[in-house]
Formats: sequence, C-alpha cells, structure tokens
Amino acid sequence: MHIADGVLSTPLLAAGAAVAVIGCGLGLRRIAPERIPQVALVSSVLFVAALVHFPVGPSSVHLVLSGLAGVMLGWAAFPAIVVALLLQAVMFGFGGLTVLGVNAVNMAVPAVLCGLLFEAVRRRGNHRLTLVAAAAAGGGSVLLGALLTTLSIRLGAPQFGDSVWLVVATALPVAVVEAVFTAAAVGLMLKVRPEALEAPQLVFSHA
Amino acid sequence: MHDRRSLAGLAVLLGLLIATPAEAHKLKVFATAEGGVVSGYAYFFGGGRAMETRVTVTDPRGRTLIELRTDAEGTFRFDTKQRQDYRITVDSGDGHVTSTTISAADLPEPSVMADVADMTLRPKVAEAAVVPPPAEPEPPMTAPDVATLVEAAIAHQIRPLREQVDAWNDRILVHDVLGGLGYILGLAGLAYGLTARRRTKAGPDAGGG
Repeated sequence: MHIADGVLSTPLLAAGAAVAVIGCGLGLRRIAPERIPQVALVSSVLFVAALVHFPVGPSSVHLVLSGLAGVMLGWAAFPAIVVALLLQAVMFGFGGLTVLGVNAVNMAVPAVLCGLLFEAVRRRGNHRLTLVAAAAAGGGSVLLGALLTTLSIRLGAPQFGDSVWLVVATALPVAVVEAVFTAAAVGLMLKVRPEALEAPQLVFSHA
Repeated sequence: MHDRRSLAGLAVLLGLLIATPAEAHKLKVFATAEGGVVSGYAYFFGGGRAMETRVTVTDPRGRTLIELRTDAEGTFRFDTKQRQDYRITVDSGDGHVTSTTISAADLPEPSVMADVADMTLRPKVAEAAVVPPPAEPEPPMTAPDVATLVEAAIAHQIRPLREQVDAWNDRILVHDVLGGLGYILGLAGLAYGLTARRRTKAGPDAGGG
C-alpha cells in the first residue's frame, strides 16, 4: 500500500491528507487513555509488519495487517496506521511524506470498516462466527486496501495506470495469510484476554 | 440476520476484490556508466527484478530523451550522446516510481564518446589497456586513448562495488527499526501525558482524550 512520492496529482494528495487528518481526529477522540498502550502496540506491529517479506512468484510481498489493526482498535486504527506509515516513510523510505495521507487512507479506511463489521459480529457472542469475521476482516481489509490503492492511481495518475490490474495475484496470498493470522490472533485474544477486543473506543465517544 | 448479511456482503466484496493488485514494496533502480554506455536494472526491495517496466531517460531540463523497457531480467541499457546529467526514471505502473541520476562526471569527454561506446561492448579491448602494450603496436596510442581505456576499465571494475554500496544503502538496519519503535513509544507516552493532564483538569470522571 505504499504509493511512492511523485506519482499522484496534487488534488488527490490534498484530499488524501485531509481525509487522513479527519480520520486521525476521529480516532484520537475515541481512544480512552487506558487504551493508549494497545494503540501503540498495534502501531508498532504495523510498522514492523511491512518488513516481513515473503516471495510470491518472481516478486515479493509484505504483510499489511490493517485488518488486525481495525479489529483491535476500531476507529483508533487511523492514528495507529498514520504513525506506522510515517515512520516507515522516514526510516525505510517506503512510500513518502507527501503521499502519506493517501496511503494512510487506503489502509485505514478498510481497517476501520472491517473493524466495525467485526465488532458487529463479535457482539453476538458466537465464538466460531467471531473467528470467521476476524478472518474476513483480515483478508478483506488487505483486498479493499489494494482496491483503494488501484483507484488512487487510476484517479491521481492515469498515465501510470497501464499495468495496474496486472498485479492481481500479489494481493491474494497476502490476504489469505492475513486472514489466517488475524483469525488466529483473535482466537488467542478471546481465550487469553477478551477485553482487548472489547474496543470501548467504538462504544464511547469522548468527544 | 443483519450480521449474516454483512458477512455475505464481505464475501461478495472479497470475490470482487480478487481481481485487484496490491503490493507494496519499494522499487529501486541501479544504473552505472561504462564509457558512454549506461546500463542498469530495476528491482523491488526484498527481491524480484522489475521486468518489462517502463524506463524514461530525461535531461536536466526534464525533456524526455529516451523511452525504453526493461527486459526479462529487469535490465536496460542505452548509449549517451552528450556529456550531461541523465535522469533515469523507472515506473512499474502500479504506483511505484523511482529514479536515479547518472552525472555528467561519470561520462567521458564527447570527443571520445563514440569510441568508448564501442570499447565497453568489447571488454577484451578494455583489458588490453591494463596489459603492457605488445612490442610493436601498430598505431601508437595517444594519451587521450589511454585515458579513455583506463576510465572504461575502471568503470568496469568498480561496477560490482557500486552494486554492493547500493545494496548496502538499502539494508534496513536494526537501529532503524528500534528507532521507529522508540518513536511510537514516545508518542504513546506523550498522548498518555496529555490525556492525563486533561483528566486532572476536568476532574477524575471526565474520561480521556
């Protein structure tokens, strides 16, 4: 989900930055103070996850884990993702600073969306259904993120779009891996520390 | 019911999204000049060469000079006509763009440009410069000729070094990762401190940030 600097048009960059700021604001207002360590932990995991490469065909892909962020943080996934992407841009040169907003939106919107859907399922209390929802959130947010990235390139840089649909196969293995990973992580948390998933930031607004 | 519907919606979404690209790794380009010939390759961070990828060569004023594509090994090569900076931009078409510059200083003088282009294609000629000339060389070599040959030979020899330096620069060091984690920890502490201050101001029941 790292579009490089200098690819997208300025209006799209501005729009992405604006949405990222709004999303961050919404997310930050919903973080209860006792949740801050959890947000930081997830942000750290996201930051490191992009370093985990695995080969797919002639190329290689890396973990995204936006689904896990959404499931664990809900709206707070937004600031967590922005921080992780900012540090990846500064430390590793992944993506870039001007394009940070767009990249963050492409990753965080699916994360929040999948997080909210997961939360709706989780509240029913059916263990198996919750795990299925976690898998769907893990895989779905990766694929949705890929779709948004594609859309951004289509909208913001039509001249670059020629092979945008050819990378099809690469998102899929990541989505499968993350679906399994997210379901496993949620299964573990349900057993060990169910309150970690209770996402009070979705219930109470501190606005 | 509602949840089942949202799950079904997710499944449909998944199905639709199967036809989308992702990734999401950094595109890199390596290029070096040997004599008047610039060659290099495009690759992705963490593996894979960028095959059949668009390469655009521009001059310092941004005018496009050459457009080409990388081959099946991700490599490209072009001749330079003038002694100037060449900016090489590689675009994989999926949001990854990177560029590098071959500076004028790496290119030979224009007068010998054509000869060098010839010589670097035939490395044996370049090697001949290192070996002492045979007892009776037919035409005696002029100083610029020798300089050119030496330059070409050196460029050839240091190419692996340049590749190594490039790869070295790409490495993500443990201290980068630790630094990032430290920043996150610091931000979390800051957030906690700020919310704590607000809490004490607003009273113990006010909740957080």
